[in-house]
Amino acid sequence: MPAFISRHRSFFTLLAVVAAQVLLLSFQINRNNHVRLIRYWAVAVFDPLERSLGGLMNVSSNAYRSYRHLWRAEQENQELHIQLVAAQEQIQRLGEEAGEAQHLRTLLEFKNQLAFQTVAAEVIFSSPGDITSSPGESSNAIYIDKGSDSGLTSDLAVITPEGVVGKILAVFPHSAQVLLITDRSSGVGVTLATSRVQGILKGGSNGLCGLHYVMNEEAVNRGEALVTSGLDRVYPKGLPVGTVVNVGDGGIYKTIGVKPSVDLNRLEMVLVVLKPTPTEQQALNSAR
Amino acid sequence: MPVSTQRPVAVFKVHPAIVSLAALAALLLQTFLPLKLPLARLMDFPLLVTIYFALMRREKAFGIALGTGLGLLQDALSHGYIGIFGIAKAIVGYLAASASTRFELESLVARTVLTGVFVLVHSLCLAALQHALLEAPPPFQPIAIASAVLVNGALGLILFQILDRFRRPA
Repeated sequence: MPAFISRHRSFFTLLAVVAAQVLLLSFQINRNNHVRLIRYWAVAVFDPLERSLGGLMNVSSNAYRSYRHLWRAEQENQELHIQLVAAQEQIQRLGEEAGEAQHLRTLLEFKNQLAFQTVAAEVIFSSPGDITSSPGESSNAIYIDKGSDSGLTSDLAVITPEGVVGKILAVFPHSAQVLLITDRSSGVGVTLATSRVQGILKGGSNGLCGLHYVMNEEAVNRGEALVTSGLDRVYPKGLPVGTVVNVGDGGIYKTIGVKPSVDLNRLEMVLVVLKPTPTEQQALNSAR
Repeated sequence: MPVSTQRPVAVFKVHPAIVSLAALAALLLQTFLPLKLPLARLMDFPLLVTIYFALMRREKAFGIALGTGLGLLQDALSHGYIGIFGIAKAIVGYLAASASTRFELESLVARTVLTGVFVLVHSLCLAALQHALLEAPPPFQPIAIASAVLVNGALGLILFQILDRFRRPA
């Protein structure tokens, strides 16, 4: 570059001289409204630059402001999301607590209505299926959180407001195993609510029970309710057991399928019927 | 007209006092003569002096300096803006010095033609500057420009003959 300038020194000298005189002229010549040409040119040169700079600053400022808004919105969103999750959990918990409270209230009301003493217990887990159950079948025994320390013994009836659940099979100090009525080894003395036909309810398959020892001649209708007969001396009389879902004639006896009135897959709280005292037993007998 | 590479170029020098006196005389004539002779309004004595000495000295820097100086003085003595004539005569001084290295300038024809060309360049520069800088420039007058070219061309013939008496071979 310096070589180029020195080679054309006279030309650049001319340019410098002309530029200096143009500058001199700009201080003398006035444009509209008596504005000197030099000021006119200066404004013309710097105005676009200032506008561009101002625009750039505006854009940058807006971008930064938008970013901050977004960042704040993101923070707020995260906080709200956390609050929402917490609120939803609280709602769910409260719902469950309300459901549980309602269930307990129902259980308490039912317990208060009963003529015999009961102990409320919570189902803690179900035992794995044994060799008598088919693969995939749900378990036919559950564990409750009351045991011998609560006065429980074996062969006590376990019920809910919906009906009969089963009976206590084994007792431990702080828990007890309950055999459900759907187990094949279970047996409940029942009476058909309408026809008053008696039979024995035994566990079946697929969550159903079977009513046994009902003669083919007896009239049994689908949808008919079953209640405990009390003859097995385990379950108090008159407790709901289930509903007839299918009826067929067998060799001698009918084949009757019964759906339990209690949803045995959703047990949470149960009542264990305690053995009545002799006085209570007398009162029960006179009530019958 | 182009300079032959085989024929030596004549180089002359002029005493600085002659240059100064010529410049002064040109300015005086420029300010005085138009009052007495209407045709003198078309004449530009400082321009002719710039052309002559730029051609003679064959130095571009000298041509620029002489043209700028005479132009600014002419501006200062006129009622116009200072710098208009300075710019135009600086350009003419540069071009004249450039041309002097390329063309044989001893013949009258060459001098007359070149003088006419430079007067035209000078007039066009003035018009361009006025249109570029002034808000209300004067109208472009080609006839006046052509007249100035003819008048100054003829004047240059006479003036250059007079000034040739004061030059010496370098």
